[in-house]
Amino acid sequence: MTDTSSLGANAPTDTTVAENADRPQTTDRHEDTPDSWTDYAFEGEPKLSVDGLDVHYGSDQALDDISIEIPEQSVTALIGPSGCGKSTFLRCLNRMNDRIRAAEVDGTVTFEGQDIYQDGLDLVELRKRVGMVFQAPNPFPKSIRDNIAYGPRKHGTVQTDLLAKLTGRDDSDQEDEIVERSLRQAAIWEEVNDRLDDNALGLSGGQQQRLCIARCLAVDPEVILMDEPASALDPIATAKIEDLIEELAEEYTVVIVTHNMQQAARISDQTAVFLTGGRLVEYGETDQVFENPKSQRVEDYITGKFG
Amino acid sequence: MSYTAESELVVDNTSTAERLASAVVGLGLVTFVFSLVGVTQVVTAETTILGISLYDFLAGGLLLMGVGTVSLGIGSRTGVFNTSPDATPGAVTAALFGLGAFALAGLVASQSLGLGTVGWLLGATLVGGVTFAGVALAPEDIGSTLPPGVAAIGVAVAILAGIITPAFAWEPEGFSATLTGSMAIPLLLAASTLVTMWGGAKAYEGYGSKGRQTAAYLLVGINAVSIIAVLVALLLFIASKGIGPAFEGFSLVPFEWPFVTNGYSFRPEVVNGVFPAIMGTIWLVIGAVITGVPVAVAAAIFLTEYAEQGRFVGAVEIATNGLWSTPSVVYGLFGYAFLIPRLGGTTSLISGMLVLGFMLMPLCLITSREAIKAVPDEYRDASAALGVSRWETIRSVVLPAAMPGILTGVILGVGRIAGETAPILLVMAGGLRDDAPNVLGSFEFISSPPFVANDALLESAPALPYQLYATITAGVSAENAAAFGWATAFVLLVVVLSFYALGIASRLYFRRRLNA
Ligand SMILES: Nc1ncnc2c1ncn2[C@@H]1O[C@H](COP(=O)(O)OP(=O)(O)O)[C@@H](O)[C@H]1O
Ligand SMILES: [Mg+2]
Repeated sequence: MTDTSSLGANAPTDTTVAENADRPQTTDRHEDTPDSWTDYAFEGEPKLSVDGLDVHYGSDQALDDISIEIPEQSVTALIGPSGCGKSTFLRCLNRMNDRIRAAEVDGTVTFEGQDIYQDGLDLVELRKRVGMVFQAPNPFPKSIRDNIAYGPRKHGTVQTDLLAKLTGRDDSDQEDEIVERSLRQAAIWEEVNDRLDDNALGLSGGQQQRLCIARCLAVDPEVILMDEPASALDPIATAKIEDLIEELAEEYTVVIVTHNMQQAARISDQTAVFLTGGRLVEYGETDQVFENPKSQRVEDYITGKFG
Repeated sequence: MSYTAESELVVDNTSTAERLASAVVGLGLVTFVFSLVGVTQVVTAETTILGISLYDFLAGGLLLMGVGTVSLGIGSRTGVFNTSPDATPGAVTAALFGLGAFALAGLVASQSLGLGTVGWLLGATLVGGVTFAGVALAPEDIGSTLPPGVAAIGVAVAILAGIITPAFAWEPEGFSATLTGSMAIPLLLAASTLVTMWGGAKAYEGYGSKGRQTAAYLLVGINAVSIIAVLVALLLFIASKGIGPAFEGFSLVPFEWPFVTNGYSFRPEVVNGVFPAIMGTIWLVIGAVITGVPVAVAAAIFLTEYAEQGRFVGAVEIATNGLWSTPSVVYGLFGYAFLIPRLGGTTSLISGMLVLGFMLMPLCLITSREAIKAVPDEYRDASAALGVSRWETIRSVVLPAAMPGILTGVILGVGRIAGETAPILLVMAGGLRDDAPNVLGSFEFISSPPFVANDALLESAPALPYQLYATITAGVSAENAAAFGWATAFVLLVVVLSFYALGIASRLYFRRRLNA
């Protein structure tokens, strides 16, 4: 772990890291359950690690005792029939569930060894480092530039307002750099560089979604959570997003929910299969999960017998 | 084409029935317009067209429509016209026609036949009931053409035969109002034309669901146009009365417009003007917007984005709706009894601003809340996922997106308060004056708190609507008060419409920024 900055205001990093060091690389607590195979060994520290996660919406249980460790700089796909809790799980990873009043989260989620549900956690810092892209493209009704620069401006990374200009601290150059870099990373720069001041709502759906990815990249995240980012797009736009995701995985940790199994097979390094009841049934290397699943139910699901 | 289509997917567009129905509707539109103009008494029985009195001319048109509609119905039933009517015109049509027949029969029985209460009630009920039953049992083509057609023929004959004349006067018992023939005839004509056109429009499409749709569109369209007509009539009327006196002494080069740039000097040799009142109204609106709108928007943000939906929010909603429904004179009384003693003891511009600001608040609160609620949650999610705090999100995303809606509320509210008279009467009342309130020039810095003083705000000031009331009702200015009043009304209308235009323009600006 190179980044030593703490997410928590009261910095309980020492204990968490210490505990984490003692822990075996793979969890062995769940491998005995007859109907789930979730132990997956990989090199290095997990970027995100979830242990015994339960989520309830009121009295409905959406996630049941999920434990999973997600390696960094790779693509982790979450698949499963709709309503099995994939989105709920994803929202636990950057605490977007906080925004849903009925949602009640138990269990631990650690990001680089720090418990993100601890008291005093800095949500701004967490969400800067764990970004999110939504199912339907949701650019702000602002110019393309304002969309990309929104995060950096709000976080004070760049200051381009009138006061900054008057006091000679204008960061417009830096902002331009961020905008260009993010748009290039999201493979949309060539398409929009001549109309950065046009409204983002004028873009096509696929372009809007790549813009949203660029907006997320602009705040320099480490993890990118994507909830069915291509489900509202046509096949060509989908292919572009898929290429982009594979590229992003060289630098970022990508966790993607998809209902499209071919997509998961194509782009992911490891796959987690959720089945009804909010249970994580199988987690492992993508090739293994698709070609040689350990669980009969997963095999049935993948071969289309149900789901 | 070498083959003949069995089913009629494509119907020949120019059948006799359609031409007849178009004639009925077209004639109806003309008759309807003239009847409405007749209601305003701009044209009267004395107006003649081709030597025939207007009402006889219109009644002739109605007669033709009635005959046409009846023929359409009978033609359809006997198979002369190719139509596809439903089994029945429906209970609602039957009930409405029954009611109409009840009213018509009641009028005829009590007014023309002179029957007593029991007599006309019995007769009317009988005719209404028979019509209801008849229409309900008849097939759609007969049920929706015969009753309006027969009624149209009846009304037309009554007018042509002189049974109802412009001289006719009806004084319903217990009312002190008189309905004269010159009023009743165009009203009867308009109503009868409307219903007959409805039947004609149904016949045009060969009845069925398509016929009902076209007939409904026709009625709805006529209503929409009528609303515009009312607005235009009002504007034209005020303008025709007010433009003359308002432009007295007007010249373009050198620019002189005494009515707008002068005060009321009570000197006979100069044109008296409304400049002080214009400035008063403008300052009043500015002050009300400054006091009312920010509070309303802030409250809307709190209630929508922060407060949990519950008892408290419910109570505030009820209170807001109550405030919005509170009569303006009550606001005025509040200002008179509460504000004035605390703000210098006399009627003053600032009291007016505050009272109108209070009046503006509930409407702006309601519309701002709706506008904020309408901002998609996706924007809030996107912003939150970037780690941006709730308040920053509201400021940078939610409010800009809600701006057009918020401005709509401000536009409506300003339209209401700019013309308010009752509260002004109580809290601001400045009579006819020669000098305008000089708000900007009266700011003074003083050495003790609150460090700024503005005498103009603490003095009474004139405003256009109040001045209008004062000149017309109370006869404050002795000389040609009416002309002065009309001119004031005209200027008031222009001022309010200017505020309106300003609001629309800024709303367009914000909307354009939101959309590609
Ligand atoms: N905001 C919410 N309020 C209440 N129940 C919810 C909410 N979001 C999801 N759920 C419930 O949680 C379960 C899992 O939903 P979700 O995570 O959206 O599944 P998926 O993304 O796999 O389709 C479903 O049964 C759904 O009805
Ligand atoms: Mg989902």
